Amino acid sequence: MRLLGAELRKLARPLSWGVAGAAALFCVLLAVGGAHNAALAAHTPPGHQPTCPELRLTGARCGRAMTAERARLRQFTAQPAQVAGQLGPLAAGAEAAGLMASLPGALALALLAGAHIGGEWSGRTLKNVLTQRGRRWQVLAAKLASLWLAGAALIAVCWAALAIAGPVLIRLDHLPAAHQTAAQALGLAAAQAGRALLVLAVFAAMGLLAAVLTRGTIGTTAATAGTLICLLILATLPGVARWTPATWVQAWMRFPAGQASVTTLPSNFWSRFISATGQPSHLAGLAGLATLLAACVLAAMVVFGRSDVSG
Amino acid sequence: MTAVIECQGLTKHYRRVTALAGLDLTVEAGMVFGFLGPNGAGKTTTLRILLGLVTPTSGRARLNGRPVPDPAGLAGVGAMIEEPAFYPWLTGRANLAVLARSGPAGASIGRALAQAGLAELADRKVKGYSQGMRQRLGLAVAMMRQPSLLLLDEPANGLDPAGMAEFRALLRSLADGGTTVFLSSHLLAEVEQVCDQIAVIQSGRLVSQGPARAAARVRVLVAPAERDAAVAALARWAARADGADGVLTDTADGRAVNQALGQAGIWAQQILLERPALEAAFLSLTGETHAAAGR
Repeated sequence: MRLLGAELRKLARPLSWGVAGAAALFCVLLAVGGAHNAALAAHTPPGHQPTCPELRLTGARCGRAMTAERARLRQFTAQPAQVAGQLGPLAAGAEAAGLMASLPGALALALLAGAHIGGEWSGRTLKNVLTQRGRRWQVLAAKLASLWLAGAALIAVCWAALAIAGPVLIRLDHLPAAHQTAAQALGLAAAQAGRALLVLAVFAAMGLLAAVLTRGTIGTTAATAGTLICLLILATLPGVARWTPATWVQAWMRFPAGQASVTTLPSNFWSRFISATGQPSHLAGLAGLATLLAACVLAAMVVFGRSDVSG
Repeated sequence: MTAVIECQGLTKHYRRVTALAGLDLTVEAGMVFGFLGPNGAGKTTTLRILLGLVTPTSGRARLNGRPVPDPAGLAGVGAMIEEPAFYPWLTGRANLAVLARSGPAGASIGRALAQAGLAELADRKVKGYSQGMRQRLGLAVAMMRQPSLLLLDEPANGLDPAGMAEFRALLRSLADGGTTVFLSSHLLAEVEQVCDQIAVIQSGRLVSQGPARAAARVRVLVAPAERDAAVAALARWAARADGADGVLTDTADGRAVNQALGQAGIWAQQILLERPALEAAFLSLTGETHAAAGR
């Protein structure tokens, strides 16, 4: 715990405050845009629903088209209430967790991993730490835990920012009341935040491994961010998508599939890259992420345990 | 005496570069030990191996009686390796606090800052420190757990003359208090003034180990015609000719030399007691020239 305290003290640095501020600003700007678009939708007539003769469809094909059109209209008319629900002070926790367990959080942790872990090599401070403790695995464990806690803090910061900005935006944009109780909103937020903690641990472990392999600030950030983006690209490939960490995150976080538009308030920045078909189950996602976490930590321990610290 | 550092056949290869080539070294407790060598001789690699930062290719090393890299051997060891590096966004005191928390309890930050002469500047951020102040902070880190063994790599770099004098006094007081100091340095005058023993390494091997202050010797100046006769008269002290009129002996007893010359009927023009400088011995041992040393 002493070592973890030291690592957390090191994280209290201008870069961390900058990342936290940027994350909060990003969440609020996203909420401003989402609330505004939802308000526009609330005041726009849903439009004429075409008939089967107009679509020149008959039989079962016509039935399917009508069902899809009714669903679109339902979603369109429910959009303002849904966004208002996402921006409630309690439910905003789910929104914050979704954003931090997806690309924005991954990039934020890549940046922090570069500075906090890779920076020990670039700044030539690692020798100081190792000559105090001697046991390398303890140093790595403290680094991982502190980075993970920084990710959890980012969720808290975004949640707080949305909890403050959300009610203001709902009032300014005259959004309707959300159809959920406080208990439902809190339950949703707690579940998403809890799931996000595992995803953040995986992002942190990937940053840890990148640091011991690249031994530098820029290398760590670039390798972590690059790997995550490559995994997202890999997830679009048919056949292999089911076996990529990106789809495990999607399944574990239960992100709604196929969020293709940012005109409404997105609950994450991940699922838009991933096909809605052929996804693994929720438990398979959990198993995949847990395995990836263990593999990254183990590999980092082995590599770091054998490497010379010569900087 | 107890050996606090023992190296046996220590070798280290970095790909095609051989940093250490079978280093044998023993350092006894309670002394200030100077570790000398030209650039690239393997001094820093030796320190890194002792501290468990680098794994030797072969050979064995023991620190405080425990095999390296046993972390238990680091208990009671304070170290400063090369140019000390710190977290620039933290103050000097906060840097020490972070490093104190990174190891076992028992560090005394205030005392270490005072010993290093940094107490008044400790609450400034390190990014504003000069090189000398960083060096002092590095010394404070090394001393904050009241170590029984201090490993210092070029600790006087960047210190001003007053700082170097303070540093010498500090090392002597630490040694007087029972702390063993292992001092790697290229400042030969500093080493000569403060160290009890020195070792010189070159190309990763030990080439000499012994007292820091070379034994005094007697130089005799005679008439050139009598030089060879003087060498013969002083043969029992390994006398040898040194220049047209000079004879060097391996004794510090000027009276005995004078007496031997008188018995041989030779009257010296001058009899001088001299102590060879460490620099001359170092350059002779490492085969470097003054011109190369000055580069």
